Amino acid sequence: MIEYTCGLIVIVAPTVLVLLTGLPMLLGFNVSERSLGRLTQLLVSTATLAATILLITMLLSDQVQYTLELGRWVDLPIEHFHFTFKLLFDRLSIPFVILSLMLCGVIGAFASRYLHRDAGYARFFLLYVVFMLGMVLSSVAGTIETMFLGWELVGLSSALLVAFFQNRVNPVANGLRVWTIYRFADGAFLLAALVLHHLTGGGELDVMMGLRPWPESACPLQQYQALVVGLLLLVAAAGKSALVPFSGWLPRAMEGPTPSSAIFYGALSVHLGAYLLLRVGPMLDQSPALQYIIIGTGCVTAIYAALVGRVQTDVKSALAFASLLQVSIIVIEIGWGFRYVALVHIIGHASMRSLQLLRAPSLLRDHRKLEDNLGRTFHAGQKSLVVVPPTAFRLWRYRFAMERGNLDTILDEWIASPFVKMFRWFDKLEHSWIKFLSGHRRVNAHLADDANESEAS
Amino acid sequence: MRLSLEEISKAVTDAAALLPRQGPITKFAFLNPLQGLEHEHYDEVMKYVGTVYGNEAYLDDRRYREKLWRGRIVESDLREVLSEELGPLSSDVVAGLTPRLELRLATLLHPLHFGERRELDWVLAETESLKHFRPEVSETQKNSLLEEHLRWTIESKHAAALATIAEQHGCTLERINELLTKHELEQLVASRSRETFYLSTLWRIIRNGIDIAENCPKRVPTENQVSKFAELSVSDFLSMTSDSRVDALMIQFTSAFLDQGYASSSLPGVEQGYWNCFRLLYSRPALLAPKWRRSLRKDLKVIEQAGLTPLESIQVSLEELQVRPPESAAFISATLLSLRGYAGMIWQTESRADLFRKSSPPGTLLEFLAVRLLLLTLARKRKDWTLNSPAKNSAAVCSQGNRRTIDSEQLAFILFELAQVLQWSPKAMSALSATQWQELTHELHEFDDHQRRRAFHAAFERQLAKMALRSFWIRTQELPVRPKTPTLQVVCCIDAREESLRRHLEEIDASVETYGIAGFFGVAMYYRGAGDADFSALCPIIMKPRHWVTEEAVYSLEQADRTRAKARRFLGSAQRGFQAQSRGLLGGAIMSTLVGPLATIPMLSRIMLPRTTAMMNQTARQFIAPPTITRLHLERTSEATAAPPTVNEDGTVDDCGVGFTLEEMTQMAERALRDIGLTSNFAPIVLLLGHCSSCINNPHESAYHCGACAGNAGGPNARALAMMLNDVRVRRKLDGMGLTIPEETQFIGGQHNTATEEMMFFDLELLPTRKIKQVRAASQLLAEAARRNAHERCRRFESADLRISNKDALLHVQNRSEDLAQTRPEYGNGSNAICFVGRRQRIRGLFLDRRSFLMSYDATQDSPESHILARILSAVVPVCEGINLLYSFSAIDPSGWGSGTKLPHNITSLVGVMDGAASDLRTGLPWQGVDIHEPVRLLFIIEATTQDLLKLMEENQTLKNIFRNHWSHLATLDPKTNQMYRFSKDKFVLYEPETNEPRLRGLPRAAKSRDWYQGRREHLTFAFIADSPNADAIDPKTSSSNTNAPARVPT
Repeated sequence: MIEYTCGLIVIVAPTVLVLLTGLPMLLGFNVSERSLGRLTQLLVSTATLAATILLITMLLSDQVQYTLELGRWVDLPIEHFHFTFKLLFDRLSIPFVILSLMLCGVIGAFASRYLHRDAGYARFFLLYVVFMLGMVLSSVAGTIETMFLGWELVGLSSALLVAFFQNRVNPVANGLRVWTIYRFADGAFLLAALVLHHLTGGGELDVMMGLRPWPESACPLQQYQALVVGLLLLVAAAGKSALVPFSGWLPRAMEGPTPSSAIFYGALSVHLGAYLLLRVGPMLDQSPALQYIIIGTGCVTAIYAALVGRVQTDVKSALAFASLLQVSIIVIEIGWGFRYVALVHIIGHASMRSLQLLRAPSLLRDHRKLEDNLGRTFHAGQKSLVVVPPTAFRLWRYRFAMERGNLDTILDEWIASPFVKMFRWFDKLEHSWIKFLSGHRRVNAHLADDANESEAS
Repeated sequence: MRLSLEEISKAVTDAAALLPRQGPITKFAFLNPLQGLEHEHYDEVMKYVGTVYGNEAYLDDRRYREKLWRGRIVESDLREVLSEELGPLSSDVVAGLTPRLELRLATLLHPLHFGERRELDWVLAETESLKHFRPEVSETQKNSLLEEHLRWTIESKHAAALATIAEQHGCTLERINELLTKHELEQLVASRSRETFYLSTLWRIIRNGIDIAENCPKRVPTENQVSKFAELSVSDFLSMTSDSRVDALMIQFTSAFLDQGYASSSLPGVEQGYWNCFRLLYSRPALLAPKWRRSLRKDLKVIEQAGLTPLESIQVSLEELQVRPPESAAFISATLLSLRGYAGMIWQTESRADLFRKSSPPGTLLEFLAVRLLLLTLARKRKDWTLNSPAKNSAAVCSQGNRRTIDSEQLAFILFELAQVLQWSPKAMSALSATQWQELTHELHEFDDHQRRRAFHAAFERQLAKMALRSFWIRTQELPVRPKTPTLQVVCCIDAREESLRRHLEEIDASVETYGIAGFFGVAMYYRGAGDADFSALCPIIMKPRHWVTEEAVYSLEQADRTRAKARRFLGSAQRGFQAQSRGLLGGAIMSTLVGPLATIPMLSRIMLPRTTAMMNQTARQFIAPPTITRLHLERTSEATAAPPTVNEDGTVDDCGVGFTLEEMTQMAERALRDIGLTSNFAPIVLLLGHCSSCINNPHESAYHCGACAGNAGGPNARALAMMLNDVRVRRKLDGMGLTIPEETQFIGGQHNTATEEMMFFDLELLPTRKIKQVRAASQLLAEAARRNAHERCRRFESADLRISNKDALLHVQNRSEDLAQTRPEYGNGSNAICFVGRRQRIRGLFLDRRSFLMSYDATQDSPESHILARILSAVVPVCEGINLLYSFSAIDPSGWGSGTKLPHNITSLVGVMDGAASDLRTGLPWQGVDIHEPVRLLFIIEATTQDLLKLMEENQTLKNIFRNHWSHLATLDPKTNQMYRFSKDKFVLYEPETNEPRLRGLPRAAKSRDWYQGRREHLTFAFIADSPNADAIDPKTSSSNTNAPARVPT
């Protein structure tokens, strides 16, 4: 009974918070800064408390897994298809949900003072609570569809928070870029969910991963099935966690207010991809090839992040790449099968990086203190008094790092642009086909017209 | 035809003067953002800032109108402003309808629709503006207008009126024309709304009139003398020279070039200069470069083969971009201004190398421009980038400002609204001739958006100036108040933040005297504190010190000092290792796994319990901080030349160049005392109070420190001056100069923390025992004043309750400065508006609401040639003007002149902040620092004769520029006759107060400051604070004449 109540509170409290924040805005009421801050604090601490009690009860009763079913919404027995809304509390999700709630709570308290008198105060809090609901949902999701719902909420609120300062061009452009990459990842996620449903009839994570509790493995999937689903999920995770080749968006996402950068890109959002892989960890064991691919992606990203991070001159980008570096190591750990290590790594890294990001504006003071402590000043170029002309390799490496490997150019010019061109071509084809069917005689002439039109658009 | 190389380099130097003058953000410079243009008149410059900078010159119409409603701008001031500037033209009747002055006034007083075309379309389609009168027209006026209109319609049968009737009734004009009898027409009109009939007719007549006016030949605008600055305002160069892809590349490369040591690996070849380094990096083959700059490598090769210098490359690029020589200066300045933050910083690294760890050689700005233009030519080769045809540009050169152009429909609608407000009847309007219509439209074009806002701004400034002058005039008609035997004298910085502290001190104890002096106390020095790694310049940013001073632990504690320094070094290396490792590969992994979860502890405590955490940190820090008992190394022998300490090869430190000679110290001591007029009647304790501020997690921390110490804490200067004045040798020499300091007088250096209101005193261990009692009393007095000051400051913070107690107020301000999430640790000089230079006793007791810089100066002690005034003003005027204009411009356009909101700020290269992931460097003050600021130019009130000031303006070019070109307003208070004069249009005009109350009764009065400000957050009128029993106590709530009582109800 305690488990049921607590589990319910964990999910209901953020939902209520979203409603209480969003509805007055929708109806045109003005909620004061103070009450918004208090409300957030109250409900977030309630949810955190509930999650902690749940953890303690389960530890005391030696229960390692608890599922909370909230209705079977679709059930098609003939087609062997059902959709249930189910929450799964186990050794993976409870720590992660506590981490999410705690960091959200701290950052909510921070933001309530940091954004004082800002015109977008209420908007920020709305997006922030939607984000939190998404985080909680995707952490405790028991079915892949539930997880997708949370995953979408996180994606939507993140993209809007990147574009928080909507009257400048850069935040909006970068928000759009984040959104595009998220959509791409979402597509892969959705495909994976479909394939899973096709293979197992349902989307239950516990069934799919075998009936034994996480992290022990007994996945009922075949090797090739695991590979297909796993690859799709890897693409989803790579998009969300900014692994190569999607890394370009991470530093660009530092457009929002400092607390949102801290929570999303330092702490929670960027780990969500890794969490997904961790969640389906048992499945990865089924396919060694999949494991190699995951480790490979992790390694490439790690090298990339280490190289690029070294040349960043602004504090937020430097922290973004430092985050990416740790996330890629976490991915390697997951690929290797060290799931507890990965979990501890996520928790530790999220806490440390959020603090660092929140303190990012202190950089100048910290730097001065550091110099004072050392009793000397240090700056670029001081180390070598003799000027040595830089080697070709150093120049190449620096240029590669400064241009961030041109990953965005690759995506833009090699993937996005051909993609758009292809669909334009399809569109043209369709037009001429329709015209042909509707009995237009001068098909060729119109084809030319359409070509001009699509060029112009 | 190409531009010669000399012309190009001259254009670059000229353009550099337009760039923001912001050095590294840790040494925040309070300077006029338009300092390079001070040689031109303020009004002239404001006309063109829109097109040259793309920034606003004044607030938005709407903001001024809001001030009008709240009574911060009054109609009579608007009228005065307009009549002064129109002169004899003001009574001309425009188009035979209304005097010009009334017409202009009406456009200011009434919220007409000056908005965009689309807005107008909406107004016409969706609102009842063509059906009902504007709310300004009263019911009786309405009726008489309608009556008259009906009569006129019937009598004249004017075509427009008939057409309106036809439209209203959906019949043809012929049909209406047939209804010739009076009665029939009357009935027809009465059957529909007469109001609609009236307005529709009016609208029809005006639209026709505008058409007539437009068909007439245009008037040729008279050729004004175009200033040099105006020539730079080519309206679309700014947008043409910015390209997001070029900007992105320039930002990346320039931050790497400027980096003062943040990135783990530095830019290779940075020591070869900007241009060479760029060529080195980008002439290497690179895979996958974006399409637009794939040919960059080839171009760089060509440049290398041709051996082009940066200057020659600029020449070639300008030619390729088809920039014609007459416009090239404008093009060059636009190219630099389109990335002004970085360009300005590059310029600072070469022109103020002493402010940077890593500076650049001369000519770097030129190289920056060369690279930018080269990239622009590449971007231009793509079809989406076009330079407009040169012919159009040269036409645009003469266009004025960033005025919104309005089309005929908008013009008609404004006239339509004016016609209602001013009650121009359709009858009168229909009688206008073509020239009169033209006169009307010309008038509206003339008094455009820019002019209206300018008039509003002038009236706003006038209102404040009037209030200030009136208060000063009334107060100074009384005799000066000065304690006969002062028990304590406190010398503070001129800062507006110290005004309240000084007032509270005087309020608590009537025997206290206070003085104001520029916060570096006349001691310009490079200073290194006991635990500091490096020297900082403690003097106004416009000066360069020539002396070095260090703080050292006392001899008996040297051993402890060394041990602690060692401990600090150990901690420092550990910190440095941690910082580097946490961002690295293995270290980061290990650390985040093992130590990471522990980070929640400081994070939680920092955010949830800021003050406790800060106290714990401080306690912990005490174990390794330098010993608390230190001395300044202040003196050097007269033989040694001033030099920084150097470390010899054997490890010993050679510091014989550190400090001042006895002669220099005497000079500084004498000068400081004579400047403020403290030459006799010394109190037993004279406190010299520098100031600092503390806050955390704030890149703009330096902006809260002392502006006269270049954004550093000013305590060391106060301490140094106190040490000099306590030196018996100095006193003996001063005695010889006729400046006798009694033996009993003790000078004490101190530091006031303007954020936390903590007071710190230096060298107390040197205090003679007999003095301790007096000092203890003084320090208690200061503590009480600090509490009251904290309370007064709290009324400005929305997060502090208005009913807060003194004690809680102190806690509140202390919490603010320790709060990681606090973006407004204090409001700095955010409320500055005036600057008084004169004797404190003349205005003692005036509540100036922290709005005034206060500099002490005693004209009666000055030489006939007013040497003292000359040297005071040469520092005080540019410093205060710089602070004021930086605040004002940042408040007028927070994202243009200021650095926008703090929330997304991102520190880069350790020199500045960007917005978010990548943007231009943001200079100026953040929005959170200026959100309570009322943008007005500073009003100097100087206690001196007008002749003196006129003479000084002739001698000192800076003063001349600032006052004659009206970058600040000026008024004088005659030390003998008590008359006040305003400086206007190059001459002094006697100030005549608009009050019949010669006595203090003309001023609102309260017993205590607190009674006056309690419960109110907005700016207050100046009041007289006096605890005298027979004074007429005035209730602050009812007597406030113009602050919170709405004078006009918003419509």
